[in-house]
Amino acid sequence: MSDMIRFKINEKEIACEKGTSILDAAKANGIEIPNLCYLKDLSPYGACGMCLVEAANSPKLLRACSAKAADGMEIFTDSERVVKARRVALELLMSDHSGDCVGPCKLNCPAHTDCQKYLAQIAEKDYEGAVATIKDKVPLPASIGRVCPHPCETACRRRHVEEPISIAYLKAFAADKVLASGNHVLGEQSAPTGKTVGIVGGGPAGLTAAYQLALKGHKVTVYDKMPKMGGMLRYGIPEYRLPKAVLDQEIAEIASLGVELINGCALGKNITLADIREKHDAVLIANGAWKSASIRCPGEELEGVFGGIDFLREIALGGKPAIGKKTAIVGGGNTAMDACRSAVRLGAEEVSVVYRRTRAEMPAEDIEIKEAEEEGVLFRFLTNPAEIIGEDGRVKAVKLQVMRLGEPDDRGRRAPVPVEGEFITLELDSIIIAAGQKNDPAGFEDLPTTKWGTIVADEHNFRTELEGVFAAGDATNKGASIAIAAIAEANEAARHIDAYLAGIELPYHEPVVSEKELSPEMFDREKAPRAVMPQRPAEERRNDFTEINYGFSEEQAVAEAKRCLSCGCHDYGECKLIQYADAYCIDCKRLKGEHHPGFRETRLVSIERDQGKCILCGLCVRVCEDQAKKGILGLVGRGFHTVVKPEFHDAAVIAACKDCHLCADNCPTGALKII
Amino acid sequence: MRIVIGEGSCGIAAGAQKVYDALAPLLENTGARLGITGCIGMCFLEPIVDIYEKGLLLKRLVRVTPDDAAAIADAVKSDDLSPLDRLAITDEDKSFLDRQTRIALRHCGVIDPEDLNAYLDVDGYKALDKVLHTMSQDDVIAEIKTSGLAGRGGAGFPTWFKWNAAKNAAGDEKYLICNADEGDPGAFMDRAVIESDPHLLIEGMLIAAYAIGAKEAFVYVRAEYPLAIVRLQKAIADATAKGYLGDNILGTDFCCRLRIKAGAGAFVCGEETALIESLEGSRGMPRLKPPFPAEKGYENKPSNINNVETFANVSWIILNGGEAFAAMGTETSKGTKVFALTGKIKRGGLVEIPMGLTLRDVIFNIGGGIRENKRFKAVQLGGPSGGCIPEALLDTVIDYKALSATGAIMGSGGMVVMDETTCMVNMARFFLDFTTKESCGKCVHCRIGTKRMYEILTRITEGEGRPGDIELLEELCDAIRSGALCGLGQTAPNPVLTTIKYFRDEYEAHINEKRCPAGECAALRTYTINKDACRGCTLCAKKCPVGAITGAVKEPHAIDADKCIKCGQCKTVCRFGAVEVR
Repeated sequence: MSDMIRFKINEKEIACEKGTSILDAAKANGIEIPNLCYLKDLSPYGACGMCLVEAANSPKLLRACSAKAADGMEIFTDSERVVKARRVALELLMSDHSGDCVGPCKLNCPAHTDCQKYLAQIAEKDYEGAVATIKDKVPLPASIGRVCPHPCETACRRRHVEEPISIAYLKAFAADKVLASGNHVLGEQSAPTGKTVGIVGGGPAGLTAAYQLALKGHKVTVYDKMPKMGGMLRYGIPEYRLPKAVLDQEIAEIASLGVELINGCALGKNITLADIREKHDAVLIANGAWKSASIRCPGEELEGVFGGIDFLREIALGGKPAIGKKTAIVGGGNTAMDACRSAVRLGAEEVSVVYRRTRAEMPAEDIEIKEAEEEGVLFRFLTNPAEIIGEDGRVKAVKLQVMRLGEPDDRGRRAPVPVEGEFITLELDSIIIAAGQKNDPAGFEDLPTTKWGTIVADEHNFRTELEGVFAAGDATNKGASIAIAAIAEANEAARHIDAYLAGIELPYHEPVVSEKELSPEMFDREKAPRAVMPQRPAEERRNDFTEINYGFSEEQAVAEAKRCLSCGCHDYGECKLIQYADAYCIDCKRLKGEHHPGFRETRLVSIERDQGKCILCGLCVRVCEDQAKKGILGLVGRGFHTVVKPEFHDAAVIAACKDCHLCADNCPTGALKII
Repeated sequence: MRIVIGEGSCGIAAGAQKVYDALAPLLENTGARLGITGCIGMCFLEPIVDIYEKGLLLKRLVRVTPDDAAAIADAVKSDDLSPLDRLAITDEDKSFLDRQTRIALRHCGVIDPEDLNAYLDVDGYKALDKVLHTMSQDDVIAEIKTSGLAGRGGAGFPTWFKWNAAKNAAGDEKYLICNADEGDPGAFMDRAVIESDPHLLIEGMLIAAYAIGAKEAFVYVRAEYPLAIVRLQKAIADATAKGYLGDNILGTDFCCRLRIKAGAGAFVCGEETALIESLEGSRGMPRLKPPFPAEKGYENKPSNINNVETFANVSWIILNGGEAFAAMGTETSKGTKVFALTGKIKRGGLVEIPMGLTLRDVIFNIGGGIRENKRFKAVQLGGPSGGCIPEALLDTVIDYKALSATGAIMGSGGMVVMDETTCMVNMARFFLDFTTKESCGKCVHCRIGTKRMYEILTRITEGEGRPGDIELLEELCDAIRSGALCGLGQTAPNPVLTTIKYFRDEYEAHINEKRCPAGECAALRTYTINKDACRGCTLCAKKCPVGAITGAVKEPHAIDADKCIKCGQCKTVCRFGAVEVR
């Protein structure tokens, strides 16, 4: 046994054969030393600098891939010095790495829905696959696809070519297809855990958390004060945008996982928080924001003054609010649009939108404004209610202050300023104030609230002050936002509740991702216009609450999905570089500087190389030479501008490439793609 | 009489060949012989013409032009050299050579490099003869060990140790390689040796080949040295013809072939493992060490690599004994060292001095100090891998250990002198620019790390430096030193580290005050016109390429700082010294 070496790694005694590298010896003993340019069957190369380790009494760091283990050595693989050296190596690599780990659509979606993936699945007509992808994050795809203000589309880079992809409607398209087929695509459900979770509120957040926790094998009960589940999706969004039959089907799918749905159960009225805590191992509060905000204008107490969401809720409950012939809606958001268009459908003859800025500043979706205009809604920009004038306790008119746009505020939005002494009076039968939502803390007296009356919950793990009680969505912190934001929080809260039930606390850290700098040539593509949603004509649709959109045809949907630029890296998830970058929590931009132009090298028939993602680890060059016995690839150029290319631009050499794909298989990043 | 013209590359560049061509027809039938020699080492006096009689140097003429040819021919014909006194070297300039101790350069500028007989006349190949007939391999290595000769390429590793390791390495097939890929900016020691005394290199290499047991030897010389290659080729052919090279050398069993490999100009190929890769026909990229070349070198066979200057010392040591060599120098550094003295120095050229002299001796005593009586600021040793040494450390002795202690290195011999007008940040930037371009691209630290350092230095010199940049540079230096794969990368931070160490205030002035104390960084300069000195001649306004200068005739002019592009034209043309730079 004289050829055996004994030494220590991280104070653990290790024995290995003489001539074994430190990296191999460590690996054989379950100690992973990071590396990007190492491959067991190839001779060590030493390019990446990731496998640096510290040896006791040695001033220099060693490359574990090449340094041989020696008797009595004491190696430290994770010392402060080593970690620092690796961090710098990674920061240097990332400073010259030009690529998007994930597309901007996914990054900008609060729930990080994998849009690129489901668009590709739709393009392949794999609708069940697409729905499975969406449901990983959004268990109500047909509903959300119809109503989401789609931050994904806002970020979509296709807009630099002509227009963003119609991502939200494609989501609805795929979900509708699957619902129509009668098949149910649900995530895989784990065996029952015996734990139970009580969820307060059956809106998008509550239902999402119910879905995710049920999949984890927990027994979930949802308590909701309204007659039916769905929350604001049902009671805040008009039927013509989201038919409740669609919502019902999606809720039924969630219920099919064994989720108990209890309606007509209001917290503080029919049940207390203490009761729910008693009954369940964990509680999630997701009861939303259900009060209309006031505009602090004299006359708000008059009969004929409606809150925006109150107005919509009354309609959803089957009522017909008495708005008369002339009504005005105050506000410029999506709720104002829902309200004005609902007012048109209720038969009002003159529906005005009063908004204190101009159309350009309106927070509502552009398409909603356009559709409202088509349906005959009048817009009175640069006006703001100064007083609601009543007669016999009932609204008679509104006195509007004329405004102008002043200087931009911190966010660049120009603040409205009253024009002294200029007023307009508008005769009215009713007025609907759609100026935002507020929270009602009734029933949560045990929990600390913010100055806006929202529940205080940890931003990362959604815990509240009470043990086992979590809170998410509109009810918490900054208050009301869009449905997908509540869904995003619910997903995270569910993850933390699941961990809590298992007795684990999940660490928090923002995942490290690479983002590409934009350049004009990225968008030098053939133009293909965005699919137009087929729609009922305005004069017809303004008369009823039937859904206004027909939905995409399959042909339209597939063509639209194919417009995707596929910004995200095909290798994210496999990429060793980003895994290390994430594990070492590096700052990708700290050492920012000039980087490789990132061109695509496509001379080899079946392999495409993105030079921007290549880290010059040389693995492709070496496997091609040593394993494939081809030697097609080589390093070209010198210094910072060195690149890997097929050698000598020689057609014969390129023809020698026999599609073995060893290069792409061994590439540690997404630089090589099999095409 | 013999007329000898110094025709190294530098002499030729200064016009030596034109002088030769002018003199040749004039000297026909005069009895005087016209010949050439290699580099005399006094770049500042080129072209140089020496007049010998019976081996005695009668007169050394300097800065000779073809117009002087007639006068020289007349003087030679009339046997009266006194009319040439106006061209003769001054005593002060003569001291440049007189104060040196030449071993490696002992024949440079003395013999005709293209004539084997000239080499034989100065005891050429006698050391080889002695070795092959009277010494064993171990005897040679022992003699070298006694001499204390260390690698002159820069690292200073004991030569005998490498030879011994290669000799003891298992295998019959061994290789000897001469590293003549001299790439440091401002270094030309090796070129001078090859151009001026190629047989000295061949003899040194043959002795080494004998000592390690190599039958095959290579000289890896950069392609940018065409004259060196031509002269070495001729020397190899002549030596082979006369039995000094090839089979059964000098009638013994010792056989050795010598080949030249011209490098394609990559700096990194001066790194020994990258050189071997290149020699094998691969891309010049360093290999991981160990294994060292002595174990697995060229074609994975035991190989020994030494630098030109190292080999140039060998025959002297064999003929004069290791002890004589070791008698020169310091405790840890023996013998002499050749430096290429350049920069803002009065007398630049090749300097060979015994180890142990101080930097001040070399720069002020031999080099004559700073040009135009400006103030000395620093000297850069070791090129891009080395560091700068400030005025306060001028009394540092030339010795591997003492120089390393300053943060610089001995290096291969580049010695670039800087005066008060040199911006140290810009100087560091220059070297980083060099390394960034010359990195082989293999390892992350060198390829990207030096680039980032270069970018930070660039922004500092452009007035865009940020607080924290010095610390960021230091952090990167540290990471690159410990993370880079080969010597090129590991030493690349040295110019930055030493300039920060000795001239941190200059970095701070650039970053915090947006000021370049040396006035070199154009982006940080402001040009103004001193109203009292300006005569209103309008010349500056006429020359200004961007129309930034205005003023009426005979009235003081003014520069519009917003328009000024800091080209310096106004200052150059002003005859009254009215343009001031800050």
